[in-house]
Amino acid sequence: MMSNKNQLNVKTSEDMTATELNIEADVVIIGSGAGGGISAYELAKAGKKVIVLEAGPYVPSEKFTEMMAVSMATMYEGEGAQSNTDGDITVLQGRCVGGSTVVNAALCFRTPDYYLNKWGKEFGLTNLTPEVMLPYFEKVEKNLGITEVKPHETSSGAETIKKGLRALDIPLGLARRNIRDCAMTGFCFAGCKTDRKQSMMVTYLPWACNHGAEIYADTQVTKIIADNGTAKGVNAEVIDPKTGVTKTSLSVKAPIVVLAAGPTGSPLLLQQSGLANSSGQVGKNFACHPSLSITAIYEKKLNDFHGATHSLFDDRHTLPENGGWIQLNAVQDPVEASFMAEPGTGKPYVRYMQNYPNSTRLITLIHDKNVGEVTMENGYKEIRYQVDDKDFEAMKKGLKENARILFASGAKYLYLPTYDTQRINSVDEIDSVIDALENESARYRYTSFHPQGTCRMGADKSKTVVNPYGETHDIKNLYVVDASLLPTSIGYNPSETVYALASYIADHINEANPG
Amino acid sequence: MSDINKQRRQFLKLATAISVAVASLSPMQVIAGKITEDNKMDATEHAVFTKMLTISLPTEGSPLIPPASLPVIPTIEGALLAGMPPHIRQGLNQGIHYFNQGPLKKYGKSFNELPDEQATAFVDEWTNSDKAPHRALAMGLKKLTVLAYWAIPDTWTPLGYVGPVSEKWKLKYRGVTPEPKA
Repeated sequence: MMSNKNQLNVKTSEDMTATELNIEADVVIIGSGAGGGISAYELAKAGKKVIVLEAGPYVPSEKFTEMMAVSMATMYEGEGAQSNTDGDITVLQGRCVGGSTVVNAALCFRTPDYYLNKWGKEFGLTNLTPEVMLPYFEKVEKNLGITEVKPHETSSGAETIKKGLRALDIPLGLARRNIRDCAMTGFCFAGCKTDRKQSMMVTYLPWACNHGAEIYADTQVTKIIADNGTAKGVNAEVIDPKTGVTKTSLSVKAPIVVLAAGPTGSPLLLQQSGLANSSGQVGKNFACHPSLSITAIYEKKLNDFHGATHSLFDDRHTLPENGGWIQLNAVQDPVEASFMAEPGTGKPYVRYMQNYPNSTRLITLIHDKNVGEVTMENGYKEIRYQVDDKDFEAMKKGLKENARILFASGAKYLYLPTYDTQRINSVDEIDSVIDALENESARYRYTSFHPQGTCRMGADKSKTVVNPYGETHDIKNLYVVDASLLPTSIGYNPSETVYALASYIADHINEANPG
Repeated sequence: MSDINKQRRQFLKLATAISVAVASLSPMQVIAGKITEDNKMDATEHAVFTKMLTISLPTEGSPLIPPASLPVIPTIEGALLAGMPPHIRQGLNQGIHYFNQGPLKKYGKSFNELPDEQATAFVDEWTNSDKAPHRALAMGLKKLTVLAYWAIPDTWTPLGYVGPVSEKWKLKYRGVTPEPKA
């Protein structure tokens, strides 16, 4: 097998020999995911000396294992164990060089005009019109190879679900993904071993390095420094991930600080630094697109093990006024399948897993209200979030539609993702089973792939954290460029929104700081 | 905060620890942490997991691999418990002991002493309990146990799942995408 080492100018804790290191730069970027990667390139290309600090490790793609359990332990926030305070929503985020772009499903949607217009009216983001944003969407789509799936880029599960969509006269939503030459391993969530997914690690970060950017992995920023209301740099620690011991105390002096630590990391860092929170909104307004998967069992084997991780969706109901949910197919490995349903303890569970080759899943993901909060309590991150009652009703409607699609595709019976056993044996049972579900904690197996909204962007400095150009209201030259910016949940995968917003904000930074 | 609320929060926290930390389970030896006197399983934990494994995966009569022939319990201990932050590990220990005492009132025995049939019924009762911590504990411990089983690649063979494919399929690395030209 040919191997191309990623062309990254990256230093890890193993490379650090000094106990103290002081660097001067034009820009320091905290985080190397979607927002950090794009900012690094656009600012370095403009001639700025850029330093990128990434808390997670550098895992080159040739070391990706294609085993979800291992990937979660090495490349996900909290070793894949990040959750809300009640523990019933797993909140997945990447924590490695490249951030979530390394372990996401590569599914891309432009921000719907509906939200850009809503943000203009309700949050004063009149600068982010569909017309203004269009060239940014086009640019990132070109750079990241975002295209609709080709006919062969599918999976046996998707082909089966298509039959259900067609039987119900539901238009097929064909996924647009930032993937080139998809090999259809189905391991998007474990990292694309052969670099087909156009993560930051194989695009914007190495491009930034072409222009002199330097990346420090294993580097946890402890404080953002500001003086007289202006950003001055950061303090950080380079930590050996094997021992947890700090190897180097690092300080970066830079007149521009770009915060891209993600919707849970960015607000905590602002809180720890005591900055940018005159509104009291830092960490508030957390949303996460809770999702539930229904598992369908078929008469025949589907062997839905590999293929395009996502290739199909139904978004007829995704805008809030249409219901507020989206349906997405996804392949899954047996480790994931092993906890996606509750058929009952013992023999029923063994039969369920024997039927794993005969199963597929359809995910219902909801647009949710920004009702959560991210805080640090007793030294530990807390994500205080429970699914809102109205959002839960939207979820139930989405699950009903989900179940109808699966039965129309030929499913024999379905399992709901509940803690107790909830099996639906026919179309006639759908309404009665789902209507009986109540919004309680520790009842449902939620997964969130899209945390967002903890440093809201808006014109009103008393209600938002960041101004319409990505700069914090309180601290000059302190920018935020990750999904924490989003004023509201958008119902769709937010990655392309972040790509486009980061590009837009980078242009603003370059215009405001020429030379 | 009242004692009841504190207790509830404690159990929720440890249920959280169980139910979400299991996602990071890995095949043994891949990310195994260091087992120490502080984080190794105590006798009750070992007995609870052993009973849970027995009742969760009764593979007789199926093509699935008998769990007793696999290092499932060492996987739980080495790949998960040993890597847990101390405060979560301590909460988990308390939660497992609490869970083990759960059946005493109804069944007159602790969980690890129950016959398999009653242990199975107890787990199903708690996953459908009106008490959220009970649901979280029962589901979390069961999930932890079965995940440790399915994280061992040998278990995939009877399902026809082949696991990692890039090397098997001899896929070429695509490498870094060239920088766009201005």
